[in-house]
Parts: sequence; structure tokens; C-alpha cells
Amino acid sequence: MKRKISFTLNGHTVQTEIDTNLTLLALLRDQLGLKGTKEGCGMGDCGACTVLLNGMTVNSCIFPAMEVEGKTVVTIEGVADKEGNLHPLQKAFVEHGAIQCGYCTPGMVLSAKALLDENPHPTEEEIRKGIAGNLCRCTGYVQIVEAIKAAVHD
Amino acid sequence: MSSGIGESLARIDAAVKVTGQACFSADLSLPGMLYGKVLRSPYAHARIKAINLEKARSLQGVKAVITGRDFPFLHGECILDIPFLAIDKVRFIGEPVAAVAADNLETAARALELIEIEYEELPMVLDPEEAMLPGAVLVHEDMKNYQSISAVKMVPDTNICQHFSLSLGDLEEGFRESDYIFEDRYTSPQITHGAIETHGSIAQVDVNGRITVWGQNDSPHRGRKEIAQALDIPQAKVRVITGYVGGNFGGKGGLKPEAIAIALAHKVPGRPVRVIFSREEVFLTITRSGCVVYLKTGVRRDGTLVARDIRLIWDMGAYAEKGPTISLHGGSLAAGPYNIPHVQVESFSVFTNKPMCGAMRGYGLPQVAFAYEAQMDAIAEKLGLDPLEIRMKNIVAEGSKVPTGQRLYAVGLKDCLESVGKDLYCPDDQSREEKIKNLPYGRWVLGKGLACSYKSTKTPTVSAAYVKLDEDGSVSIVTSTVEVGQGSHTILVQIAAEVLGVEQDQITVSFADTDVTPYDTSTTASRTTFHMGNAVRIAAEDARQKLLALAAVLLESKAEELVLKEGGVYAPDGRKLSFAQVLRNTYGPGAGAAVLGQGLYTPTNILGLEDLGDPKLEAFSTLSAFHSYAAQGVEVAVDLETGNVKVLRMVAAHDVGKAINPLNCRQQVQGALSMGFGYGLMEEYLWRNGEVMNADFLNYTIPTAMDLPPMEITIVEEAHPHGPYGAKGVGEMAIAPTAPAIANAVYNACGVRIKSLPLKPAKILKALLEKSKGRGGRGTKG
Repeated sequence: MKRKISFTLNGHTVQTEIDTNLTLLALLRDQLGLKGTKEGCGMGDCGACTVLLNGMTVNSCIFPAMEVEGKTVVTIEGVADKEGNLHPLQKAFVEHGAIQCGYCTPGMVLSAKALLDENPHPTEEEIRKGIAGNLCRCTGYVQIVEAIKAAVHD
Repeated sequence: MSSGIGESLARIDAAVKVTGQACFSADLSLPGMLYGKVLRSPYAHARIKAINLEKARSLQGVKAVITGRDFPFLHGECILDIPFLAIDKVRFIGEPVAAVAADNLETAARALELIEIEYEELPMVLDPEEAMLPGAVLVHEDMKNYQSISAVKMVPDTNICQHFSLSLGDLEEGFRESDYIFEDRYTSPQITHGAIETHGSIAQVDVNGRITVWGQNDSPHRGRKEIAQALDIPQAKVRVITGYVGGNFGGKGGLKPEAIAIALAHKVPGRPVRVIFSREEVFLTITRSGCVVYLKTGVRRDGTLVARDIRLIWDMGAYAEKGPTISLHGGSLAAGPYNIPHVQVESFSVFTNKPMCGAMRGYGLPQVAFAYEAQMDAIAEKLGLDPLEIRMKNIVAEGSKVPTGQRLYAVGLKDCLESVGKDLYCPDDQSREEKIKNLPYGRWVLGKGLACSYKSTKTPTVSAAYVKLDEDGSVSIVTSTVEVGQGSHTILVQIAAEVLGVEQDQITVSFADTDVTPYDTSTTASRTTFHMGNAVRIAAEDARQKLLALAAVLLESKAEELVLKEGGVYAPDGRKLSFAQVLRNTYGPGAGAAVLGQGLYTPTNILGLEDLGDPKLEAFSTLSAFHSYAAQGVEVAVDLETGNVKVLRMVAAHDVGKAINPLNCRQQVQGALSMGFGYGLMEEYLWRNGEVMNADFLNYTIPTAMDLPPMEITIVEEAHPHGPYGAKGVGEMAIAPTAPAIANAVYNACGVRIKSLPLKPAKILKALLEKSKGRGGRGTKG
């Protein structure tokens, strides 16, 4: 079954027709061609597919695309500014060695962004809790936490 | 100069990854591409009796449906035993049996449901020790007729596909000289690599029969060889391209989704077929060997190790993959980083009807290190020595001989142990109450434990590279090394930067493409910095010489008098030409030039072979181009009510030879500590009759940001004379000491020795209950 939806994606209005059983991840990657959001497990366990919906993190791989109607979605492609300048979080991730294979990175950046947008001065414990839904197998999270702390001070 | 050796240069690929612009396998789309999906066996061991593909084939949008009978080839690195798709029987639950290529994934999935396969179940064998017994069900009845490499020694008509032995001194004499003998059995389960990117690949066969494979293969030249060998075609007919890989840890070598994509691509000539595995499929595709270690050690009452008898039983799963060489590698290291005059190792790789095991970070070392480091603490306690003291007494040092017959040089182990001892046992500035105040309610006891280890690398191997200077002065490194997140691209840039005196923004690194990038054995075994680093250094030196020769003509100078720095060539009198000027001015107006530096490195004059005459190195030798050393310690809190373990602190000291990028070294150790934490405390496959019951990240938990404590990491630099700037390897070594350090800390905290990983709460609680009832020995004699 098809349905027309309209929503805001990375600051632009998107109007498109979707299958009602489409996930948000499939909408973003396959239909809209935005490949930055990744699939790691397809079941909402790893957080690689994290995007922001009205500022809150969702696992797009299990989130119905239909539900973005009238809402605002931010993906990794929408984090840097319109001129392509990196967001302070992204700069911090680069400078503090928070990226190794890079596969968890888009989801991790969005979780960190959602955390700092809501809580601009988190404790280390709050940072770790804020990214607890994003699995990383490469880094041990040490430099990721350091990067987020550094972005707080910017 | 900020890009050279010793600088913590930011990763050169970090920006494309942090913006989501970096392209991974599942992000690749090609015109005319079809989508492939796999039907997997529901039985652990069964004959395939009948196949009916008609309904699936007639579904609209389906372009190919195949089984092993349509593509009956075998591949494999050690033994040619892995079918692209099962042919006459299935050997594990999850084995690929059929595959579909369709216009979209949904159609492919529906087609799978329409495939009809009839099986005749066969008895299965699931436990490797049972599989070794006479009369056990045979997983590969025809094993003795399989082709295999020289490093494989099968035991015909059994499930044992590898028997590796090692001997030093006289074991019986050693035990006679011992005052105490310790005998213990340790086990490690199968675990998953857990790379966040699942396996995936695209394959295309063109009108000339040429196969192109895009994907995550960690060793493109080896992958090309494996494909060519399996299909009995020239290597020139195969091209393997690998881009960014979202985590590897050894799970992405050999042919995995590649096999399915290649098989399907042959049935839809000209059309690319993309196969991306789900997370569940990754669990079923490749695991890390389970291992049973029987460790018998003889010691003198003063703590000197005298004799060590080691029996290793590796659970291969249903196919050999890299298992035989893992058995060899793990076996060659199984006595530990200690001076022991009498050693015997018998190492067996055994088939079972479970998903196949293969290379995972450490290549057999973590399983044996758990055993020898856990037993070391038990020995120390019995003799009244402390864990650091007994290790210091026995550890290898400059010139020590290990059971392979090689002597070790550039041994930084003592410094590593001393550093960990200092950091772990430092005067506590925090009280017990402070340490446990952030823990949930429980009856907490605290403990500390440490472990050390050493590791060899795959030897002999070859790495070749080009360093190309183009007419604008830019530098390209052309290499088959794969950037899997370990930072290899960045390291190679730093080496080229150092030799050529340029900054990193002038240098790029290629992706691996067997049509273009020269031979590299593999991106494995922590061999890249040493081997490819040397190859790039040599190639950069070659480019430097050639550039200087051109500049000498232009500057009317002698090449030896010219200096390369800051992206330019300087004459003694201060005249300078930039690289671009040298290259553009060489052939006159309107023309440019290029310089191609070539480098090839394979270890020669390997250190420590003086007692072995002039040994000819075989493939997968137990002798090594270099060794790495490390020690780690942890502080834990154990809740006596639940058996729950909280790791409060982790300390580590790693001898890397030379930290080309200190941040990168720390990143490797941090990741390894996290992985070691995982398989020490949380990770294991759970089974029911050969079926994996926890093939997802909900039921198979890997550490999150909330699990891991602060980590203090010290880099030790005991330079290796053959490494580039003295560098050795880091990543694989780093995962070995963690689990035994945790096990030792748990004992220190609550008095129970757990000899099977992982140390899950239920296991600890059970041991605590048994201890309180006065049961549960430590397996010691003497």
C-alpha cells in the first residue's frame, strides 16, 4: 500500500510516496539516496542507524517511515552546516581520535548531538549513558567520550 | 613538520567518516545491479535429497536461483573444503544451500520461501573432544582427499584436520625436576567478531568471463588467488577491489558474501549482484575458534618454570577456513612468554557440525593466553609468591629461546610488566568506599589481577608499494593494504611524509585494487606497519632518490648535496625548487614529469635464528619477523550476592617498538581492552543442538559505553632493528592479556578461579556457592 508523506529532512521539505511498510532507514538510504545512515543489525540493537526525529534519537531501522509525516528528521548529512563546515562535535571526533572504522560514527554523532542539545553540560556518566545505545567494536569508547567532553567546552 | 614519525596525526579518513561521506560496501550501487539473498540449512548435518527451484524461478523479478549443484566449486585458504553453496550435504545450521538474485530484496526474500529442498538428517557431532573419539560421526568423510597447503597435517579418517606439534627439551625429565606439578583445563567458547558493518560484496562477470568483486575482503590479492584457484581460472581473470571496511578483526578474509555474489553473478552475465549479510547471517558465517586447553606445568619451589605440557583442542566448526594455521600459530605461542626448558605442544583442529571458525584478532593467542596466565596466578599462590614476582622471575628477555627454536630480541616485556605493576598496585588514593560508591547496591569485594603475553606475526610474507609523485608535486601511496579502522592509511602517510619531508595534505593513499595496487600478502596479523610500512619507506626512498636526481640536473648540483624538506628540494646555497617545479621543469615548457618509487619488503636476516642453522622458511612458519609484548592489569569489584563483575579500572603497557602515531597505538589498545572485556565477561555463542540461539546483539551482548572503565595506557618502545623506525605490531597482541587479567582479579576479589570463559555472573555465583560448601578445587597437585 502506498502513501504520500511530507516531512522536513536536514532543513528541506521532502514530499514523496512510500510503501506503508517501509522503514525510515530504507526511506533514507534506498529511496532518498542518503547513504550516511548505516545498518548494523536491522533490529534496533546497535544504534548505527540512529537519526534524530524532532530532536530525539530513533533507531531508523525499526522506525516506520510513515511516522515522520509532519516532523523534522536530521541525519548525519545534516549535521555539518550548509557550507560543509563541520559541527563542533564532528571536529572534536576528528581531533580526538574518536573514529576508527567509522561505521558506528554517524549514529554516534547523532546520539551525542541529541545529548548536548538537551543537556549542554553533561557529566561523564551522562555522556556514557547518552551513547549507551550506540555499539562500537573498535574504540572502547574512550576517545569518543573525550571528544564529546571537548565539544562541551567549545 | 607535523605529519612525520611520532606525531599523533589525526586520521586522514576521519573527516569523510564523520560526515557519512565514506563509502562502505552496502553504499555501493551499480547500474543493472541485482540483489542476492541466501537460503540456509535448517539442519546441522544432513544429505540434500531433492531440490525444486521451479516456483522460485518463476516468480516475477527473479533472475537467478541456484544451489551448489549449479556451481559445484570448493574454496579455502588452508584446505579446499568450502563449497560456494552446499553441494551434496549440509554441515551446519546456517550453511548456504541456495541463493537468489532478483530485482529487489523483497522479491529475493519471497523467492527463498518458494525454494523446496528435501533433506535426510544425519547424526551430528557438536563437541570437539567427542568429535576426536574413534567412531565419531565424520563431518568430512572424504577429508584425506582434499587439497591442502603444506602447513596442514591431517589425521585421515577422523575429524582432525590439523595436528601441530612442537617440542623443546625433554618433558619427562622436566617433570622429574619439578617440585610441584599443576594440571588444569581451561576453555574459551566460540565468539563473534562483532564488527558493526555486516559482511557484503558485489560481484560481476563480464562478457570475457572476467570477475570483478567489490567489497570488504581484507586481503584482495589472496582473495583473488582463492577465487582463481577455486574456479580453475587464471588470476588475471579476477579483480578484487576493497574500499573502507567497517571493522574486520579477521572475519572478512577468505570468501564469504563474495562466494554467493560470484556464484550468482555467473548466472546473470554482465549484471552486478550485491549480497549484504544480515547480522544474524554474520553470526552464522564466521566465528572465533572455541578451544579446550589442557595445561600441565612443572615448577620448582622457588617459582622457576621447568616444564610445560600443552594439549589444545580447537573447535573448527564445519569447515577448516584458517583453522589449521590458527592451531599452528596458537600452538607455537602456547607456552607463554617464559623461559621454560622443556615444552611439548600437541594442537588439534577438529571439525564439528557448527558454523565455521576462523581468524579473529589474536589468531589463537587469546585462547592459550587465558590458560597460561590464569594458571600462573594459581601457581604463584601455591608457592607463596606474588603474581608480578613469579612472572618477573620467568619472563623472556634479550636472547631467550622459545619453543619454536627462535631467540627473541628487542624484548620490551619487563618494562611492560613493571609499568603495569606500578600502575595497578600504586598506593590507592581512593578508599574502598570511594571505589564502590557509584556501583549499584551489592555486597562488593575488590580485587586486582594482571597478565602478560607475547605474539609473533605471520612469516614469511611480502608487501609491495609504489610511491608516486605527479607533476603537481602531489604524492600518492599505491598499496593493497586495507583500511579497516586500524589506521593503516594514516601510518603509511606518516612514513612517506617523513621520508619525503612533506605534510600529509600533499599525500593520498589508494584503496586496494588487484588491477592496480601491487601485491600484499594480507591485512592481518598486525603485520602491516612492519611490512607495508617498510615497503612504503623503501618506495618513498626510491622516489626521493629519483626526484633528487632530476633536481640535481636543474640545480646543477650533486644529488647527495641536496636536502628534501617542507615539500621542496634545497641546494646547499639555499636555492630551492618545489617538487612541482622539479617535475614540471624537467621536460621543458608545457610538459611535466612523474616519479615512481618502488618498494618491496619481505623479512630477511630474521633475528634469533642462530641456533637453527640456516632454516628455510616454510609458508606459515612458526618463526617470526618480529614479536610484540604486552602486559595488562585490571581492578574489579565482584558482587557476592549476584556474581556480577564490575571492572573499575584497566591498565596496559604495550611494547610497540616505535609509536609511529602514539594516539593510534592507544586507540588500538583501547579497542582491544574493550574486546577483551567483552570476551572475558560477556560473550559466548549459546547453542541448542547445533543451532545458534543468540545470533543478534540483544542476546549476544558486547560492551557499551556504560560498561567500560577508565583505561591507563603506557607505550613502551623497544625498537626492532628491522621495523620501520623500529616499529613492531600492536592490535592483535593487545587482546590477549585482558581476559586472564580479569579472571585473576576476580580470584583476588572473591577467591574463586573460573577456568572457562566468559566469567558470567551465574558461573561466578555457582563457584562461590560451591566454595562456601567446601567444594571446588583448583586442580593442583604436588
